[in-house]
Amino acid sequence: MTKALQIALLQVRIYLQDRGDLGFSLLLPVVTFALMYFVFGGQTQFHATAHIVNEDPGGIYSEAFIEQLDALKELDIDLLSLDKADGKLERADLLMFVVIPEGFSDGLASGEPVELLFKQRGNGGQEQQIVAALVRSVADDISLGLQVQEQVIAALVDTDTTINQIETTVERLLADEQESPTVAVTEEAIGSSPDPVNQFLAGIITMYVLFAIILSARMLVEERHLGTLERLLTTRLSVGQLFAGKYIAGISRGFIQTVILMVLSYAVFQIFTPLSFMSSLLVALVYASAASALGLIIASVARTPDQATWMGVFFTMAMVMISGTFFPIEEGSVMEIISRFSVNTYANDAFRTLINEGGSLGDIGFEIGVLAGVIVVGLLLSRYLFKVMPGGR
Amino acid sequence: MSANYLVAQDLHKSFNEHKAVNGVSFTIRKREIFGLLGPNGAGKTTTIRMLSTVLEPDQGDVIIGGYSIKREAEEVRNLIGVCPQELALYVELGALDNLLFFGRMAGMSSQEAREQALAHLKLVGLEERAKGRIDKFSGGMKRRVNLAVALMGHPELLFLDEPTVGIDPQSRNNIYETIEGLRDKGMTILYTTHYMEEADRLCDRVAIMDGGQIIAMDTPHELKAQIGSPDRVTLEDVFLKQTGRSLRD
Ligand SMILES: Nc1ncnc2c1ncn2[C@@H]1O[C@H](COP(=O)(O)OP(=O)(O)OP(=O)(O)O)[C@@H](O)[C@H]1O
Ligand SMILES: [Mg+2]
Repeated sequence: MTKALQIALLQVRIYLQDRGDLGFSLLLPVVTFALMYFVFGGQTQFHATAHIVNEDPGGIYSEAFIEQLDALKELDIDLLSLDKADGKLERADLLMFVVIPEGFSDGLASGEPVELLFKQRGNGGQEQQIVAALVRSVADDISLGLQVQEQVIAALVDTDTTINQIETTVERLLADEQESPTVAVTEEAIGSSPDPVNQFLAGIITMYVLFAIILSARMLVEERHLGTLERLLTTRLSVGQLFAGKYIAGISRGFIQTVILMVLSYAVFQIFTPLSFMSSLLVALVYASAASALGLIIASVARTPDQATWMGVFFTMAMVMISGTFFPIEEGSVMEIISRFSVNTYANDAFRTLINEGGSLGDIGFEIGVLAGVIVVGLLLSRYLFKVMPGGR
Repeated sequence: MSANYLVAQDLHKSFNEHKAVNGVSFTIRKREIFGLLGPNGAGKTTTIRMLSTVLEPDQGDVIIGGYSIKREAEEVRNLIGVCPQELALYVELGALDNLLFFGRMAGMSSQEAREQALAHLKLVGLEERAKGRIDKFSGGMKRRVNLAVALMGHPELLFLDEPTVGIDPQSRNNIYETIEGLRDKGMTILYTTHYMEEADRLCDRVAIMDGGQIIAMDTPHELKAQIGSPDRVTLEDVFLKQTGRSLRD
């Protein structure tokens, strides 16, 4: 056993020596993750920028209006001049902006109707439509407040109450209403399954683990090329120990990459619970073992490193394609039957059960069993092939 | 005369109908340096690969230290060290690391392996470059590491397949001295080379191979005596007389 570990250690050291290879394989999961982050955004709540042109600078109501918009957590405010906004709209740098017209505050103060102008390209796009709705609701709030105030003043005009008192009271009431609205809306996120990250994470993880196939497929052939394989075969090392060493090395490389990806996903997207994370790690380990064993089959038959790589890539792609890793497979369809021939399917199912459905290890016994079977068959078959292929033993 | 350490009997090996080795028999005595000479493609490497249990002979057997390469390959591997014709090293790693690794493969503890590795690096004059990466080494240095690796585990029988090819006289001289030192310590050596003066200097007996067969076998002195005065003819004269002047490959 120590010889097998020496072999695995050697492989890892060679891997650590090759800075380019090392950098690439460690960076790859980080880059994949960064892509996921940008595509799926790190957040689930709506968030957008409202582009505002204020033609009534310094006006009490225009400033108050902007202040209230800024207070909304859904919106960032981008103030810009009319020329600039027009230019950007022209170039489609932005899709919609809001113009607060000149005399907005004076008009409101004297009770005249005022108009906000929404300038947009086409319908402004989904996101800006939501922005427009938010802007409208803030404008409605202001206008409602003013109307209430006006009517209260009209009703109380004959009493001793000063206009100042009325204004302060109405403002306070409106502020209270905003603080604790009569009809409140709370958002509650249950689980995180609608999040696209979850839909894809299982697939991305399984694809990563599959890379282990390509890695371990190359390991024997590379040594054959170097001449060290033949040299090893004249030492006291048995072929079993050699295979065990390469097998362990294949597992560790695939597993390390997967762990990086999973840790990042855990830290940033909070997809896992501590328990589902540990269970997922275990599945990743079992799956990396299956992939490494399958890689050894290729390693036993490939004659050149390039051949091994291409066979590994082809095998990986085929497994990913037929497994429904990135697209759902209809239950009861022919595709579902075909997908049963891909190891990916079982790993995917296991990960989805753990990550998306909150399942535990007890729910994925079948999948783990299939993967364990693949390990045994992969190791036995590769050992047999190595025996019968030329230059093997 | 000491006992035979290696007995090869009627070895045959074909690659796709091509008979690379065609009925080779010879013996090597304990503590002998035995030279296997022959033009390109004569079958020397193929013979060594069979002797070192890498290739299974189509026919024939070899007994090494009392063990058959066919039936007791494991035991045979405990006795042999191989310095292959092509460099067989992990080029991304240092010289010492290569030696340590193959030492562990030869079944040594890490302590033993380290002691031997350092001693062997010293022997081939590379103790100063122990940590240097193989791919940064010159051709001569790589050859010397290739030889040092073969010595790990103190094999009783050493196969050296053209250990001095493509290197300068200094490196070559170091390798000669190393080999002579090993013989003096009791090692048995099978040596192949294309350099006849090298074989003349080192080998107790030589076999000349051509077309997969041994066509002459004796001490260098006797072989030279057969075609003239041993002081005037060289082993090269013998070689060319035996194998002819036509190109092989
Ligand atoms: N693996 C192989 N497959 C096919 N043919 C081979 C193989 N190995 C050797 N041969 C052929 O067998 C013959 C003997 O080759 P071998 O390498 O034993 O010669 P050699 O005496 O070592 O030559 P050299 O001095 O060039 O090293 C050659 O014709 C070679 O082409
Ligand atoms: Mg050769």
